[in-house]
Amino acid sequence: MSDRRIIALTPAPTAVTARTDPIDTPRLSASPPLSLYVHFPWCVRKCPYCDFNSHTSRSGDGSLPEEAWLDAVITDVESALPQVWGRRVLSIFIGGGTPSLMSAATLDRLLVALRMRLQLDPMAEITLEANPGTFESDRFRDYRAAGINRLSIGIQSFDDAKLQRLGRIHDSTEARRAIDIAQQHFERVNLDLMYALPEQTLEGALTDLDTALATGVSHLSCYHLTLEPNTPFAHTPPPLPDDDLSADMQDAIEARLADAGFRHYETSAFARPGQECRHNLNYWAFGDYLGVGPGAHGKLSSHDGIVREMRHKHPGRYLEGAAKGDFIQERRDVGAAELPFEFMMNALRLTDGVPHTLFAERTGLPLASIEAQLIDARKRGLLDTANGTLRPTEQGRRFLNDLLQVFLRD
Amino acid sequence: MQHIRNFSIIAHIDHGKSTLADRLIHFCGGLSDREMEAQVLDSMDIERERGITIKAQTAALQYKAKDGKVYNLNLIDTPGHVDFSYEVSRSLAACEGALLVVDASQGVEAQTVANCYTALDQNVEVIPVLNKIDLPAANPENARQEIEDVIGVDAGDAILCSAKTGIGIEEVLEAVVAKVPAPRGNPDSQLKALIIDSWFDNYVGVVMLVRVVDGVLKPKDRILLMSNGAQYPCEQVGVFTPKSVSRDQLSAGEVGFIIAGIKELEAAKVGDTVTLAAKPAASPLPGFKEIKPQVFAGLYPVESSEYDQLRDSLEKLRLNDASLQFEPEVSQALGFGFRCGFLGLLHMDIVQERLEREFDMDLITTAPTVIYEVVLNNGEVITVSNPSRLPDQGKYQEIREPIITATIFLPQDYVGPVITLCNQKRGAQVDMRYHGRQVQLIYDMPMNEVVMDFFDKLKSVSRGYASLDYEFKEYRTADLVKLDLMVGGEKVDALSVIVHRVNAAFRGRELSAKLRGLIPRQMFDVAIQAAIGSNIIARETIKALRKNVLAKCYGGDITRKKKLLEKQKEGKKRMKQVGNVEIPQEAFLAVLRTDEGK
Repeated sequence: MSDRRIIALTPAPTAVTARTDPIDTPRLSASPPLSLYVHFPWCVRKCPYCDFNSHTSRSGDGSLPEEAWLDAVITDVESALPQVWGRRVLSIFIGGGTPSLMSAATLDRLLVALRMRLQLDPMAEITLEANPGTFESDRFRDYRAAGINRLSIGIQSFDDAKLQRLGRIHDSTEARRAIDIAQQHFERVNLDLMYALPEQTLEGALTDLDTALATGVSHLSCYHLTLEPNTPFAHTPPPLPDDDLSADMQDAIEARLADAGFRHYETSAFARPGQECRHNLNYWAFGDYLGVGPGAHGKLSSHDGIVREMRHKHPGRYLEGAAKGDFIQERRDVGAAELPFEFMMNALRLTDGVPHTLFAERTGLPLASIEAQLIDARKRGLLDTANGTLRPTEQGRRFLNDLLQVFLRD
Repeated sequence: MQHIRNFSIIAHIDHGKSTLADRLIHFCGGLSDREMEAQVLDSMDIERERGITIKAQTAALQYKAKDGKVYNLNLIDTPGHVDFSYEVSRSLAACEGALLVVDASQGVEAQTVANCYTALDQNVEVIPVLNKIDLPAANPENARQEIEDVIGVDAGDAILCSAKTGIGIEEVLEAVVAKVPAPRGNPDSQLKALIIDSWFDNYVGVVMLVRVVDGVLKPKDRILLMSNGAQYPCEQVGVFTPKSVSRDQLSAGEVGFIIAGIKELEAAKVGDTVTLAAKPAASPLPGFKEIKPQVFAGLYPVESSEYDQLRDSLEKLRLNDASLQFEPEVSQALGFGFRCGFLGLLHMDIVQERLEREFDMDLITTAPTVIYEVVLNNGEVITVSNPSRLPDQGKYQEIREPIITATIFLPQDYVGPVITLCNQKRGAQVDMRYHGRQVQLIYDMPMNEVVMDFFDKLKSVSRGYASLDYEFKEYRTADLVKLDLMVGGEKVDALSVIVHRVNAAFRGRELSAKLRGLIPRQMFDVAIQAAIGSNIIARETIKALRKNVLAKCYGGDITRKKKLLEKQKEGKKRMKQVGNVEIPQEAFLAVLRTDEGK
């Protein structure tokens, strides 16, 4: 690390050019807020429902190429600096995989390196995804010391039988202990819960929720377990609750969380007022994000359009390319035809939606260009455009797929 | 003429007719070993696969008999299915003899009996042949007894043969020479030639297969078709060996083809009489009938953009199948398609299959229906072949339905269930006879019950052992009603059926329940109702879907979720919109498939 060059932190002025060309390459009047996503691709074991880019260690002793990953990620960020030059980073999310497998020392070096190269907002939200195993929770204090200020713990359930069924390597005792330790060091803790688990009853789902609420955390993500293609669960589906039962679970979970003072601010996210995940909110508001690490996705706006990119997905390939500065597996311009759907796919996950003006601000397209779709969605009772907002109706939130399809290009 | 023998083969599906024909051709050297592709006469792929002959074909064979003389044997192949009984009768009318081929291991079947009676009616000499005697299960004695019991033909000297191994082939040919009478006819009299079959050839236009009864026909003669008075210059005559070979003339007693530059197949109708324009015959040959479709169904392309392609395909099929009728039809639920008329269910199946296989069409076929006669209040009688066209209740006095006489042959073990089935289908027993282990049941039955699912059910209750033959009997007044299906309050025209009032409630419940399982849940409750007029007789509800959301959306990667939504949307596009309910194509397909077993 010592020979790594230091890059000045002075921001360059954001380029804002007057618009002269037709709308096919959208021009933005201002840069959207910027976040950073860092992907740590390894897990001790791959869960049978998971379709994320996660890998188990291939080395015999179970050790992970942490050093190599860190060096690569730092080079990755450096090579991406011209794309985000002068822009303030408002949040960092370190996800995986299981980033809590990383030693606190590595994490510390990562955050130091990021701070040195990026203009990190002093109030930036820095979230780390953590597994509730004993091994990990013993490190929570050090993570906090390294600068992590929000912890997102993949609890999934407090029922040991269910955890086993999900292929999780922790049990409920470890889960409770991990939450306990997390709360000693972090003010902001999120728990990931899943419902509609194999053979789960309504009572079972609510017991999980009550246990989570009793811990006093300020943010909960409640996901409906879905069978993703190319996962063991999709291949051999476990006996899952039917549509009606899982809908009952969702209703009951939403009601109980509302009673407990949580706002259902996004499809699967619930928070006490002010405790929403700012990093995710930036996704939903169609903000920009730089994604580094194996398989990380990024979306970046510039004066000449919006680009989506993905880093090399396989960790081996990513680490190998790092030496040559070869990180990008895919990069493409998002054309004007796709932008309305991409914007809505994010914005309409928010219960409150977004202001009308955000559409033009983030896509560079006039709202009038999707007039017909807006009318269609409104007529079907899925979208509310009153009071200067674009907001899903109650029906629109339940049938978000149907609402979003209105904006898909034919 | 003394050395000509015209004969055909009567056999049930699978009893080895085509194999025997191939053997006979091979034996007479009509084809070399190399050319000897299995089952030469069944030239259409579907014919070969299903083992049934759809179009009659022919082969002129040279056989040197044991008496030292060379005989011209004309083998006229006949179609082997109920739907084509008229074609069979015309083929037989062109022959003096017929080989009755019976599988020695299975005995007599219904179609064999029906065709054999047709042959006997036309004074055709019937020669019993017991085939497949090489099989261990062969029981020639039993089969012989059955032929005598059921058909009433002396089977004492039935020839034992195996078309597969070649046993008895020469004996068959000898019997043809010895027993089939030589054709009688006067070559000097006015030309009378019977059209046995006709088909369209891309290079020469319509080819007519004829049996010359009287007179002589030469190229450059001007021919006259007696049913419609149309005249054409005869361009070419010849015979099939089975390869086509040109001849200078065709004269009384011979079987061969005529090419006369005819463009439309409809002009050369099977059963019509060909004569000479200059010296026409006084009267046509007897037995000509205009064949009319008996079974109707709507054919719709799954992709509405393929409508034109479907029309082109149907037109091409009609070039070779004059009995296929079609006219454009619009359904609210299925869009643009065609109402097609078929000779029967098998014909419908074959057309459907050829459209799918040869023309690569994806089709939705509505439930087959028969032609009803409707007596309106003013006494006028109209025919209805599309349930959605039935006038409203109160606008007509009565509906008459076609009744058929069904002949069913089956092993006696299955008599109970088959009788139950016939009664369920509103059949009235006319006769029941035991022939050894075989039972012959004769029922008068409404044809609409038969086209619905009778054949499939008969097969299933008899484990495939029952065989069916039927012929139209008469129109009878019946208490019929139109059963409509409504989805979300909207009538789905493509699903309307005409049923007997007694069966309406059951059928209504059955269809609504089936549909309930096939329409995906929507954003709102969907009512499925079966109604007679304004009277709801069955109701099912598809409960509203509670949500349609992708729970986990990993903020960074939108591509996969986008693809999923695109796929979902693509699926919806393939659905048919009825009111505000989206019905998948598969739902139509499955509801319209009447065999519940599947």
